[in-house]
Amino acid sequence: MNNVKILLMVTKKSAFVWLFILSFVLPLTLSQKIFASEAPAQVAQEAAVSGVELPQFEGGQVSGSSQSSEGQPATDVGTTTAVAAEEEEIVPVQYRTFFGIDSRLVVWIVSELHLMFAAFVLGVPIFAVIVEIVGFKGGDIKYDKMAKEFTKLLSAAFATTASLGGLLAFCLFGLYPEFMGHMTNVFAPTMYVYALLFFGEAFTLYGYYYSWDILKGTAAKKWFHISLGVMLNLFGTGLMFITNSWATYMMSPAGIVPATGKVLSMYQAVYNLLWMPVNIHRLIANVCFGGFVVGAYAAVKFLGAKTEEERAHYDWMGYVGNFIGVGALIPLPFAGYWLGREVYSASPVMGNIMMGGAFSWTFIIQAILIGMLFIGVNYYLWLGMGRIKGSERYTRFIKYLIFVIFLCFAVWLTPHNLPLSGEERAMIGEQYHPFSKYFGVMAAKNAVVNLIILATFFSFLIYRRSNKGEMVPFSEQGKAGKIGIFSALIFCLLMLVSYAVSLNFVELDANIKVFVNPLIRALYIQAFAVCLAAFLTFKNKGKLGQTLLFAVTAGIAVLYFWYYGFQVMQKANLVLRYLSVTQVAIVMSCLIMNAIIDVFMFRKAKLVGGIVWGKMPVRSQYTLLLLCIVIVILMGLMGFIRSGLRMDWHIYGVLQDTSPWAYTPTLSYMGRVVGLIVVLFLGLVTFVFWLANLGEKKEEAKPKGYNYEVSGDDYGNAH
Amino acid sequence: MNKSMLKITAFGIAVIGFYIYITIYVSGLSGTGGGETASGVSPEAGEKIFWGDGQCSTCHKIGTSGSATRGPDQEGLWARAEERAKELNMPTGLDYLVESIVEPEKYVVKGYDKIMPKVFDPPIMLSREKILAVLAFLQTLGGELDISAIMKYKDKIPEASKKKVKPWVAPIVVDAKEGENVFFDETRPVTCGKCHVVNGRGTKVGPDLTGIGAIQTPEYFLESILKPSAKIVKGYETMYVITSDGIPYNGLIKSETEEELVLLKEESGEIEEIVIPKSEVAEMKKQEVSIMPGNIGELLSVKDFYGIVSFLQSLK
Repeated sequence: MNNVKILLMVTKKSAFVWLFILSFVLPLTLSQKIFASEAPAQVAQEAAVSGVELPQFEGGQVSGSSQSSEGQPATDVGTTTAVAAEEEEIVPVQYRTFFGIDSRLVVWIVSELHLMFAAFVLGVPIFAVIVEIVGFKGGDIKYDKMAKEFTKLLSAAFATTASLGGLLAFCLFGLYPEFMGHMTNVFAPTMYVYALLFFGEAFTLYGYYYSWDILKGTAAKKWFHISLGVMLNLFGTGLMFITNSWATYMMSPAGIVPATGKVLSMYQAVYNLLWMPVNIHRLIANVCFGGFVVGAYAAVKFLGAKTEEERAHYDWMGYVGNFIGVGALIPLPFAGYWLGREVYSASPVMGNIMMGGAFSWTFIIQAILIGMLFIGVNYYLWLGMGRIKGSERYTRFIKYLIFVIFLCFAVWLTPHNLPLSGEERAMIGEQYHPFSKYFGVMAAKNAVVNLIILATFFSFLIYRRSNKGEMVPFSEQGKAGKIGIFSALIFCLLMLVSYAVSLNFVELDANIKVFVNPLIRALYIQAFAVCLAAFLTFKNKGKLGQTLLFAVTAGIAVLYFWYYGFQVMQKANLVLRYLSVTQVAIVMSCLIMNAIIDVFMFRKAKLVGGIVWGKMPVRSQYTLLLLCIVIVILMGLMGFIRSGLRMDWHIYGVLQDTSPWAYTPTLSYMGRVVGLIVVLFLGLVTFVFWLANLGEKKEEAKPKGYNYEVSGDDYGNAH
Repeated sequence: MNKSMLKITAFGIAVIGFYIYITIYVSGLSGTGGGETASGVSPEAGEKIFWGDGQCSTCHKIGTSGSATRGPDQEGLWARAEERAKELNMPTGLDYLVESIVEPEKYVVKGYDKIMPKVFDPPIMLSREKILAVLAFLQTLGGELDISAIMKYKDKIPEASKKKVKPWVAPIVVDAKEGENVFFDETRPVTCGKCHVVNGRGTKVGPDLTGIGAIQTPEYFLESILKPSAKIVKGYETMYVITSDGIPYNGLIKSETEEELVLLKEESGEIEEIVIPKSEVAEMKKQEVSIMPGNIGELLSVKDFYGIVSFLQSLK
């Protein structure tokens, strides 16, 4: 790049010298060459001043004129003031192939593998540190052991992530030099920061792992160790945020002059419209991903376990991994919704391609995968209830939950627009099925997604209650419970009321704005329901409060908004985005409030029986494996969607992809590639984990002195 | 590998296989996808573009066709376009439709957001012809098709190109309008309009230059003016004729019958018509030299020269 700049500078300087000379020579040459003897004298002066002559032709070729692509109709040239047109630097996009293999395929596979390992490496430390803190605060060494085991896997995976990252960088610079030239031009300073953060992450990761046994014994040492873990997470999150800025810039470029690529503001390029939505979405998704991968690791260990103790340990580990995965899975659709909405804001065209165009069918596949995740998670929880004495009281709910979840899944899967033959269309009388078309629209899908989330949350509540018997009245639980409930109440009220107030100020035409009023009313009703639930809890009627809150939430966010969503779509489409956010706020408030009520309501409850860890059917472990495989596939699919939305652009609207691989592949091709990536990832992960365990003694699988048979509160309430 | 690992591997492969099967199945279900190519300004081509390349259907539906609700339903569009044109003091519904495409944010239908992109800009980048075809299709939605009326709007629709083409820029400040004046100015030593017709104005000796800017590049104009013999348009080659009396003529054939040959001959900047009886033609052959004067560069100032090029460029 510097060489090019120097060359340009020299050219400009020499051009200046030539112009200076020409200013003396031209009056003579032009008057002889161009003008007839009768041409007015001012013409010669004019030419001398402008320093311009007519183009010369040699061998039929135009010299000194700009080039236009052959066969192209002439563009808007010369019709207006010419000097207004800026000189554009046109550099053709260059590509190389990877030993004759499709470059895009190579970059696709390497980047996706890198992303998957990175997701694991970034997600696992978050809960490793949380688990370590829980173990330290609770004085329970088995949490500490598990956190260390996670970190051991992490350090092995870290090197693989870094190697894949290096390979990806080489592939990009080698195969897409022009594109990477642009990216380097815009983001060069951030690349140095990235490298520094990478050092930080490497040092803290290895420091965190290798100092585990050294930094224990005293609280100060342990806190220092935990601080290392926190630092590791901060470095990791920083790394992810930087790379996200590069990826999101490609979708919603900012801070540059699109026509020339000139950088106006690197800050804007980094903080582009999609940066923060992707950051949040990936942060949550990484935790979810890490949780399910650890769950699968535990499942593999469980299935290969030789002793009851091993089985108990890995059953418990699998439960924790699954718990973390589910915990992150529940808010993930909300973050995904926000991201999708911002994609629309960044580019309506891209948004339409995503949900209404070429990529709309990928969301049917996504629905299948997410449906599998939710069904798997619930199934695992229900199976888990089998190892808890006292769970029989709640098993009657499972059949209803199955019905609800499968019904929601079916609605979610229903496409709005079925590809019909002419004959079929004639039979139906229109393009859409008269009945199923109502399940294919966004209003229906939003409603069922929220219902699935509520149902899964309910599954979790009955799971954690299975072991609980007689409760201590809330009024006798001391200050902690009251502060906890009150804090949750304030948080929920702030969320609901502030959004309701903000809806009063949205700028819409009066005839459209009337459709916002029901949303405001719904938010206030929910706020009242949250207050009522808190009030009833204080009055020792927490269960009634929870039931009321569930009923109000389902009534508003699912049933009413399902119906009202249709109204809005038909009469005031603009209001749909406010409706979705209202829906999210209402469901979130229910989850938060009911979870907090449940925690404090059952805090000192008598145990009905113990949890017999290890007493899980084999199919439960396959469910954990399924969850892991599905989340990996889902990540591959969503990576394809996010990247593919740019269609034939490297940088959307700025740098076009003119390579032979610029086309959008078919879904079946995508499926095969993502399938291959998943096989490669899982194979590599298995190998890396095997390497990590090579030096371990088998008896370490079970920490000495811990009884997995009756754990009661130690396991049930720790989460 | 122990038995449990084999089972786990088989299970993993089965799940991934199921996923691949689903993608293959959905791929077949979703059909071909993507926009179909269409050409020509016709409602049929426009309809294909509406549902394909133009991506109009992702925001607009037409009655029961399509499902999009982000933009207004286009059923019976023409009647509404005429109505709005009246409200906005526009001559016809086409003016309204053209404005809606060229400047989509200027008038937004109540109840809808300002989300419509300029379809000639990246990333859609519809060509002018395709936009005209879409206009033709939209006109049929409740109206009567009038292609000639649509074509009148072609200059109002910006052209889009998928290739990055470096725009030609005259090296000095010029105005196409001034170039037009020079083109037809008969007081000058050379008048292009004496041999070329543009939009019915001028004399047809050389090729008609109406709309030439849409099909030729600036480089072509530069060359044609300064070196007219470099490329001669077919049918406009200079003929060299020698009569039986030995008199030579150079000129363009205006007409040719069995009895006579009518030649257009340039003489001191004027075009002269010469009629030669066929019986007196001793020899006739095509010349490689154009009848157009080769010294035009000497007869024009730099500003006038580039002004004419700009004017020709504007003839689209």
